[in-house]
Amino acid sequence: MHIPDAFIPMGQALIYWVIALIFIVLALRWARRSMGEEKIPLVAVLAAGIFAIQALNIPIPWGTSGHMVGAALAAIVLGSPYAGVFVLTLVLLVQGIIFGDGGITVMGANIVNMGVIGGFVGYYGYAGIKGVIGNAYAAAFIAGWASLFISAILCAVELAIAGTFPLELGLTFMGTYHAIIGLIEGGITAVALYMIASARPDILERPAGVSA
Amino acid sequence: MIDDLYYIEKHAYRTSIVHRLDARVKLLVTLAAIVAIVVLPYSTKVYELGLVLFLLFALLWAASRLPPTAYLRRLLLILPFGIFLIAFQVFVKNSYYDVFHTIATLPFGIEVYAESVEFASILLVKFLVSISFIILLSSTTKMQDMIEAAGRLGLPREFTLTLGMMVRYIFVFAEMFNRVRTAMETRSFDPLDRTLPYRYRLRQVGYTVGSIFIRSYEQGERTYTSMLCRGHGANTGLYIRRKNLRTGEMAFFFATLAFIVLSTVLIYLQP
Repeated sequence: MHIPDAFIPMGQALIYWVIALIFIVLALRWARRSMGEEKIPLVAVLAAGIFAIQALNIPIPWGTSGHMVGAALAAIVLGSPYAGVFVLTLVLLVQGIIFGDGGITVMGANIVNMGVIGGFVGYYGYAGIKGVIGNAYAAAFIAGWASLFISAILCAVELAIAGTFPLELGLTFMGTYHAIIGLIEGGITAVALYMIASARPDILERPAGVSA
Repeated sequence: MIDDLYYIEKHAYRTSIVHRLDARVKLLVTLAAIVAIVVLPYSTKVYELGLVLFLLFALLWAASRLPPTAYLRRLLLILPFGIFLIAFQVFVKNSYYDVFHTIATLPFGIEVYAESVEFASILLVKFLVSISFIILLSSTTKMQDMIEAAGRLGLPREFTLTLGMMVRYIFVFAEMFNRVRTAMETRSFDPLDRTLPYRYRLRQVGYTVGSIFIRSYEQGERTYTSMLCRGHGANTGLYIRRKNLRTGEMAFFFATLAFIVLSTVLIYLQP
């Protein structure tokens, strides 16, 4: 889902950069206020961990493999959508500049798609669904799935606006593919959340409770 | 991707005239080349600018004394998603042309259009030039140097400190990731092994993800605590010493920048 350079014209790419920058500034403010100004390094180290999590080959029912995005997981565990934005911005910067995975001019769009959508849909999806059905793991599953699916839909819409991929086909292909990959993102998010809740319940939704 | 981390860093630690060039110059030249190829509207003029910029890239790659195979290997890793989007173009109409001529008809009523093939090739040229410059940048510049360069260019300390921390720990987690993978292999567990029940595999991978998350969080806590012990506070930043550009670096930067800007403008303006 990492859009490469040249697939979005410069003018539009700049608009996504502006939107992304607004969220990056808000995420920095969140990190300062809620984590404590000086605890930002902790999130940076966590971002490196998410980078490793994304490297893990994950089985998809038909025998191929995929990768996790992890924005929903970070947002749910740290209890803020901005955690997803913060972590994914760092990961996407490194992926774009070091590995060439995802473009530079379109990085704003990629941050919006994966970080902002991933974080916000992941966190609010989880909080909302958990409030209705009461089961945290089912909520994490649906939120994880939705975070990926909606990211992919937005990505298809952006490419359609750019004129580099037709809307119906984009929605069909990206939508179907990510609706399936999303099941894995959701599944892993739920299992990982269960594991974290069992092993380190103190870090869940209590980012201020970090032992200093 | 994580395996390539060492591959890329191994190349970045070599030495050549390009490696020794100040990272600020390399960052800005890369950005200029990418912006130039992206800014030029989708038209056949892209071929010309693409050729000019690719020659510039090839010259710099040769000067970096890195083997061409290193470039090709990295290129192959990056291509898939872009190539999928590009290959698909030939079957669909896009908004950049008014008339479409069918050049081939395939079963199921799928048609290939001449204009779409042209558009796909334009996208391919833009895509190749952009990623070639990124490959050049990261193969000849250490990550820490890039962050320092970004700091010298005015990136706020919040970003340089965080990015500096992240880049440092990526290697720690790459090691950890390899240990996790070895542990899985020694237990004969393969997440992609279809003879194992799907739910079981998913649960195991989920636990692995959870444990990597906790381990990175705990590493963060330890790092943070040890930073506090060494006087870390709200106003801490990455220490970046002042460094002036040498005359040669200045000359190279302005010459290359002028070359990129002029080529783009001239190619854009020609009838």
